[in-house]
Amino acid sequence: MTFFKNIMYSFKKYKFLLSQLVSRDFKVKYKRSILGIIWSLLYPILTMSVMALVFTKMFKMSTPGVNYLVYLMSGLVIFNYFNEASNLAMSSVVANFSLINKVYMPKYIFPLSKCLFVGINFLLTLIPLYAIIFITGTNVNIYHLLLPYMFFCLFLFTLGMGFILSAVSVFLRDMFYIYGVVITLWTYMTPIMYDISIIPENLLFIFKLNPIYWFIKFARDIILYNVIPGLNVWIYCGVFALGVLFLGMFVFKKTQDKFIYYV
Amino acid sequence: MKKEDIMIELNDISMRFNLGIEKGFSLKQGFVDMFKKEKRKKEKNEFWALSNVNFKVKKGEVVGFIGSNGAGKSTLLKVVAGVMKPTKGVVLTYGNICPMIELGAGFDMQLTARENIYLNGAVMGYSKELIDEKFDEIVEFSELKDFLDVPVQNFSSGMVARLAFSVATIVNPEILIVDEILSVGDIAFQAKSEAKMMEMITGGTTVLYVSHSLEAIKKLCNKVVWIEHGEVQKIGDIAVCDEYMEFMSRK
Repeated sequence: MTFFKNIMYSFKKYKFLLSQLVSRDFKVKYKRSILGIIWSLLYPILTMSVMALVFTKMFKMSTPGVNYLVYLMSGLVIFNYFNEASNLAMSSVVANFSLINKVYMPKYIFPLSKCLFVGINFLLTLIPLYAIIFITGTNVNIYHLLLPYMFFCLFLFTLGMGFILSAVSVFLRDMFYIYGVVITLWTYMTPIMYDISIIPENLLFIFKLNPIYWFIKFARDIILYNVIPGLNVWIYCGVFALGVLFLGMFVFKKTQDKFIYYV
Repeated sequence: MKKEDIMIELNDISMRFNLGIEKGFSLKQGFVDMFKKEKRKKEKNEFWALSNVNFKVKKGEVVGFIGSNGAGKSTLLKVVAGVMKPTKGVVLTYGNICPMIELGAGFDMQLTARENIYLNGAVMGYSKELIDEKFDEIVEFSELKDFLDVPVQNFSSGMVARLAFSVATIVNPEILIVDEILSVGDIAFQAKSEAKMMEMITGGTTVLYVSHSLEAIKKLCNKVVWIEHGEVQKIGDIAVCDEYMEFMSRK
């Protein structure tokens, strides 16, 4: 109990710093661009268009019964959140060494602020997603109100990964390169642009060990197939989120006092 | 000595650095580290930046730290400020700490002066209300009113230092940690900033002050801690300065 009390206390105390770090990221991100924040809306549409073009025209990819654009876009926004947030979180501690070395502040604040910053961006990318949903005439049902559960799980999972990656990369700078390769593999191992039905039965279990598969499935069950995700999907999302979050918190807490020696 | 008078208490503080740590920074070494954690610690050439440091600081005391370069003074300040966690021992501090070890921590060069005042203030642990309240005071002291909405990257280094100094010195901390008296900017601002620091130091707060200027130490401090090779050589009044002088001249 005291553990959670401590977290709440620390959160309250550093709320302002956290909001400053997040708003700093926003200001810096769009500082010199003419379109500014519109890029947050435009960018996902443009990348999706490119991928849709490549996969439908060149690889003749299709998803029977549902609109391919919506299929692709729903997978993309979820995976892109994870990709961008986990990468930024990974480098956040190393990038802020000069701060850590001068002033006391809880170090978890750096990965957390990155996951929040990309999270706000993620919410913005829902606008182009829904634009595609409306344009393609995909049915919107009441179940959409269940999606925040998955968003929350995705956030916690990514935060947990951010803790692990940022802590490990302090001791092992090779992590930046290793993770670059891992995330590429991860992208292709996640059914973003293809349907999971093309995977041979005997390999399917590997794909189902991927937490992001479940997050994406949760979204697609609602958006494309108009059904409430099965109980197992709810459970997988929650368990992966909390499991990785707690693992991340454990790793980070164990190692954070040693960060200072690796400055 | 009454218990409530104590502001800082250091109990048997030791701080170890691993000098070899920078060398083996690779995947291979990383794996070796992971599995042979205990073993490797013994192999490496260790360096004790501080060993068994004990002292207490009472409320209102101005404590000067002297010692040659690399003696562990700055490490000690960082331990008190909470930036570093000691390898051994316990640090107890009672009251909010303002570490003026390096100014402008967390400045983002792409942001404007106005934005940086809030960001840097947050980094220093100020609340939003405090910065709102003191904002005009900060701007006035820094004399940068006309440049508030200019990105800091377009500032001269003196202007950046002035802004950083102004943000750092608006609080009245219960414990002030100073690494050399800072006088920044042009001649006029130097005098102003020095006066401001003197005001903070002599204003009745508890101060930890590191300096190589024995004159300043003698003038400001009522307690002196002499550190050499990470160990406390002597704690006493300003007479310690003279012993230190003698020690240095013999070297």
